[in-house]
Amino acid sequence: MIDGIPLPARDGPFEQGFWDALDKGVLAHQQCASCGKWTFPPRWRCLCGGALQYRPVSGKGRLWSWTQVHAPVLPAFAPLTPYIAAIVELEEQSDLRMAGMLVRDAGGRLNAVTPADLYIGMKLETVIAPLGSGVNWPQWKTLHSFTERQSHD
Amino acid sequence: MSLSGNVVIAGIGQTVYGKGLAQSERELACMAIDAALKDAGLQPSEIDALSSYTMEATPDFDVARDLGLGPIHYLSQSPHGGGAGPGAVGHAALAIAGGVAKAAVVWRARKRSQAASRVWAQSSAMLQDHWKWSRPSGVLRPVDEVALLTRRYMHEHGDVVPALAEIAVTLRRYACANPAAAMYGKPISAEDYHASRMVADPLRLFDNCLESDGAAALVLVAAERAASLQNPGVVIEAFSQGLFSGHQSMADFHRPDPLTSNSAATAENLWRQTALRPKDVDVAQFYDAFSPLILFSLEAYGFAPKGGAARFVLEQGISLDGALPVNTSGGSLSEAYLHGMNLILEAVRQLRGQSLNQKRDARVALVTGCDVTPNGALLLRRAA
Repeated sequence: MIDGIPLPARDGPFEQGFWDALDKGVLAHQQCASCGKWTFPPRWRCLCGGALQYRPVSGKGRLWSWTQVHAPVLPAFAPLTPYIAAIVELEEQSDLRMAGMLVRDAGGRLNAVTPADLYIGMKLETVIAPLGSGVNWPQWKTLHSFTERQSHD
Repeated sequence: MSLSGNVVIAGIGQTVYGKGLAQSERELACMAIDAALKDAGLQPSEIDALSSYTMEATPDFDVARDLGLGPIHYLSQSPHGGGAGPGAVGHAALAIAGGVAKAAVVWRARKRSQAASRVWAQSSAMLQDHWKWSRPSGVLRPVDEVALLTRRYMHEHGDVVPALAEIAVTLRRYACANPAAAMYGKPISAEDYHASRMVADPLRLFDNCLESDGAAALVLVAAERAASLQNPGVVIEAFSQGLFSGHQSMADFHRPDPLTSNSAATAENLWRQTALRPKDVDVAQFYDAFSPLILFSLEAYGFAPKGGAARFVLEQGISLDGALPVNTSGGSLSEAYLHGMNLILEAVRQLRGQSLNQKRDARVALVTGCDVTPNGALLLRRAA
């Protein structure tokens, strides 16, 4: 949890299934019943015209990009700076991407991962954690062994 | 009906640019518009169209009352902040080309030199818009969003940091020849760039635009009136806006190829309207809230191949002796940050031969809106 963090409103269109799943500790996204394509952020219908249904995803992904965020930032995040913000590409589909913060372990500090730990394409796995009171949110656990990372740099 | 060639920019006006200006935004707007009217040689009562940005805080009726404009027959606002400038001009130009209005004022006034006035700093406790999907994950500021795209770009196309330094230093050099620029008299070197503080890795302080106060305005009329103007009219050759399905403003990470931005849609439709090609462009004013946007725009508008923008900057050059002088008044990085309106004024000066960093015999200028929002562009040319 981050005190004072701006929280996502949970009453937006087409997103009830996203929040319902997170409430159960599960990451779910919309998938097309006709063509099978996944989509995020939530939308009305698939580009092919098919109906979208929320289905759990594997929670596995890869690092698409990252930045190390330095002050000044919103007060809620100030104690964490500098910290890594990342874009994750989910295993299900290369353009199914989410923004996320990285952790070394479930419940770990949000600024424990450093640039030296990272390479684009590295494997990540979701950890559902409370963002503020009553709102679960996906964070992403780094999966590679930190001691072996030199081989990727 | 065609827009191309039928509307001219007849006048330009601006206030001083800087920090902590005493005047209100409304007074700054009035000062810039008044200067643009005088530059065009038009009376306030001749103006019957007003166009600005959806983010403009100065009400159109206050501007009309303060300056004695009108009666007004056409009102427009163009969306998406940094993406809006070419649209604000284009909408007014279309109203004139379509016979709805005779003469238009386009303006932007801003006071955001105080830290608390920054848009991201006003993030609400409950996020209702599309930023709900990224801000809770620490992607807080526009610079964070652009940094994420820049790192991915570097992963796919190689290092761009030397080119970003060259952009920052070149635009500052332009500003140092422009007394109106906020950074006039404050040159920087590549060493200064590399020593500046990191904001969102790989982007440093000097990759970020200024936060400034000021206003800029321009006046549009039909091309058939150009002969009666005080200054040579600058012709609108082409205009387009651009938005791809799947894009969302700034936090644009969810399309199959986020590195092909809305600028590609804008560019294709812009070049469709004209026989002019990128090689015919003498100067470009690329929207530059962040330096990488110049790289992305160089590629989108056809000046460099995909992945080749950094090489273009370093080898072809963006200074006055380079292949394509870019942001010749100092741009948003070093002149002023007015959501790009100052870039349009500089394009007009170049085509009038009045720039303080004049490209010799400049005949064609490109002005673009923000690469990472829904955007637009104007292709301008000197009257024959």
